[in-house]
Amino acid sequence: MAEKKQKDCYVSCEEMRKLNENLISLNQRLVNAEQIKSNFISNISNEILNPFTSILGLSKNILEVKKEDWKKVITMVAMIHSEAFNLDFQLKNIFAAARIEAGEVLPEISNIDIKGLILDIIDSFKYEAHKKTIRLQYKFSTTDKNRQYYFQCDSEKIRLILSNLLSNAIKFSKDKGAIIINTRIKNDEMICSVQDFGEGISRENQQIIYNRFNRSDSGIETTFRGHGLGLSINKAMIEILHGKIEFKTSTGNGTKFTVSLPKLEGESEGITLDGNELLF
Amino acid sequence: MNKTEKTVVKQFLYPSAIIVSTEPCEVTTILGSCIAVCIIDPVLCIGGINHYMLPLWNGIGLASPKYGNVAIEKLIDKLIMLGSKKDNLTAKVFGGGEVLETNSVQYNIGLRNIEIVREILNEKRIPVISSSLGGSYGRKIIFKTHTGEVKHFFINKNFQIH
Repeated sequence: MAEKKQKDCYVSCEEMRKLNENLISLNQRLVNAEQIKSNFISNISNEILNPFTSILGLSKNILEVKKEDWKKVITMVAMIHSEAFNLDFQLKNIFAAARIEAGEVLPEISNIDIKGLILDIIDSFKYEAHKKTIRLQYKFSTTDKNRQYYFQCDSEKIRLILSNLLSNAIKFSKDKGAIIINTRIKNDEMICSVQDFGEGISRENQQIIYNRFNRSDSGIETTFRGHGLGLSINKAMIEILHGKIEFKTSTGNGTKFTVSLPKLEGESEGITLDGNELLF
Repeated sequence: MNKTEKTVVKQFLYPSAIIVSTEPCEVTTILGSCIAVCIIDPVLCIGGINHYMLPLWNGIGLASPKYGNVAIEKLIDKLIMLGSKKDNLTAKVFGGGEVLETNSVQYNIGLRNIEIVREILNEKRIPVISSSLGGSYGRKIIFKTHTGEVKHFFINKNFQIH
């Protein structure tokens, strides 16, 4: 009898130990989540307030410029543009993440001119690239007989996906570097790669780059801006479009992200149904 | 004017999305191992539907309604925001077929999706008034948000679904 009691006690102790372990690991995860949240809030306020302060300050300076100093205005306008461009880009990402998390993102399919779209995206980043004297090189190829670059997909999502890749590539490139954007349309597939020649992604960071709010470097002394949402948005958006994202990286030689997207049809109509209709 | 006389909007529900509507709406979706939870408020005559692919969010990537635990919570929250009382809500659950044959429980996503929906709805005390779950076929369902009616078809196995 006493032996049984002892055994029972041992079992419950063992169980208790396991439960405790679970509790400790859960607690640790909550602490991490809290840390990520507070990092995120401080990042966001930095990302939003700093550009606004610069925009306000610079535009005030422009108002006070004397007529003979008009040349100064051009530099200041360029700075305003750059700050506003970054702000707009960050806000678009934040809203995109919120919409994905709310389950409100649907593919909006239309026939788009891929070449025009990508040239437009590259053009929008030309000032950012110019600031670090980075050359943006692009190449297009298609299997279409008429050398057309039309592809059925969602243009706004492609724009955000490629903008995120391009923005990261510029951010992590060295000064006077180059970025290669290569687009291929192969029958029913579009493959686009963005390659930079920066530092590359370290082995431990390769595991977490698609996590939200994760930046490859965090902390107060970080030299890079951004909030670590871009790649997690890209992954979710690409999944919605039934595509794939892959990367190749080597430390010191840079990273190449490749996105492949299939041609999308409209809604699934005309599928074969089996058996009778049931009403619930 | 009677609610059923209003024009019914037709919508297609994509995976990882949620549709909640106060206006009469007919939502079509195609299910394989995914699950669609239809939640109905018979008092306000409104309803919503989600379409999730995997049971649990693992903390990686965005907490989107691709995952059961996120999708069901978000759907209930959206209905409550539209004024529903939690005690009035009822659910109808579809999907979770074993479309790709596996012999392992770990890889049988359909089965794991079914477990999570039962667990969460039970925890939230939302009664499941009807369901068609499991099996080896895909399904097409058409859900009317204002009446809670669901038309249900099985799909031929050779058709590719999510």
